[in-house]
Amino acid sequence: MVKYKTCTVETTEVFQMINITDEVSSFVEASGITDGVCYVISKHTTTAILVNESLPCVEKDIEDMFERLVPTHAPYVHTHMLPTYGTCSGNAPGHLKSAIGGYFAIMPVIGGKLVRGGAQDIYFTEMDGLQKRSFTIMVMGE
Amino acid sequence: MIIDVHAHPLLFDLITPGSGDSVFEWRRQNFGLYKSGITSAEFFLKVADHAKVDRTVLLPEDYSAEMGRPLISNDEIAKIVAFAPERFIGFASVDPRSGGAAEELERAFTELKLSGLKLNLSHLHMFPSDARLRPLLELCLRYGKPVTFHCGYSWEPDSPSKYSRPIDFEDIAVEYPELRFCLAHLGFPWVAETVMMILKYPNVYTDTSTVFMGSPRDWYRQIFTVDMGIDWLENNFADKVMYGSNNPRWRQERALDGLLSLGLREDVVRKITGENALRFLGMETADGTSADRR
Repeated sequence: MVKYKTCTVETTEVFQMINITDEVSSFVEASGITDGVCYVISKHTTTAILVNESLPCVEKDIEDMFERLVPTHAPYVHTHMLPTYGTCSGNAPGHLKSAIGGYFAIMPVIGGKLVRGGAQDIYFTEMDGLQKRSFTIMVMGE
Repeated sequence: MIIDVHAHPLLFDLITPGSGDSVFEWRRQNFGLYKSGITSAEFFLKVADHAKVDRTVLLPEDYSAEMGRPLISNDEIAKIVAFAPERFIGFASVDPRSGGAAEELERAFTELKLSGLKLNLSHLHMFPSDARLRPLLELCLRYGKPVTFHCGYSWEPDSPSKYSRPIDFEDIAVEYPELRFCLAHLGFPWVAETVMMILKYPNVYTDTSTVFMGSPRDWYRQIFTVDMGIDWLENNFADKVMYGSNNPRWRQERALDGLLSLGLREDVVRKITGENALRFLGMETADGTSADRR
């Protein structure tokens, strides 16, 4: 059996970690699937799905790490007119941070519940805000 | 107050129902916004808040002589302005090639209370010397409304730049010295011609909606500090340049950041980001404050 849901979020900052653990857990528990696997997948290329500990200090360190690795202002190639879009590209940092962070997370489902470590929270992470975003939760099993 | 004088609400949800709608695709193709999605007006304002942009000038376009209807009508602009009148400033547009253009413009000023006229002569295939423009310009003069002319390079399809060269607007400046008009986009690539125009003619302005290559920071550094000396802007025409983002082609916040990164004098920043726009729009009072905030 497969259960699938698309969730939307309006981000309010250029970089923003949004804890979606409760939303994912609730969907798993309501899915009727007892044993299987849960995928959380972003639909974008300038966001990430991260799993980490939900502490403000850790979140700040993660944001600072991404900024050190991929500075907002640097000589990126992806900064020019895009004739096929009719707009200019100016979000190379978002793309690169997304490439590092990854676009999905996977967790087991056992006994009708999401199996995760005590410190593991799931974040939808905006890296090119502010935007309207969406991600999917897919539960596969029986 | 920070005012963005150049934005296109083409795909606002208030006037374009949805991505599956035929109007949506028609607008995208004819304006050259091929992959943009619907923009919620409410969310646009949240993004503007984040960028610290207080007010945004919304520009429609009308090529109804060939398209059968305006890309954005004056009524649609008025509808968006009504959604947030303290945040949006709506311009009108008419197709000078259509019968009744002057009547429609007068209606836009008197009934819809729109604040200026936008014309893209490149897309209209009309030179600034075209006599069909004169009645419209005279209406703007009569009602004290400014005109924003697209100037220089145009992203829009079938819009040759030869119709929008800055020097070709000089006759209008001479013939209508009291008419406030903006040669948008710095008239790129004819920036020097635009500089001459804003330097010489007291009521001619330009806007910064001109980032076509590189990041806003790199582009403005090239334009204002390499192609020009920094003193050109700060000491010669600080009163004539207005912040414009060209949203959605560029995000408001990034364009503004590019300007602020130049390290201009504080008084010059105030002028470029707001004070000049108030004067251009006719919203400045005798004591230099914003008429609509008193």
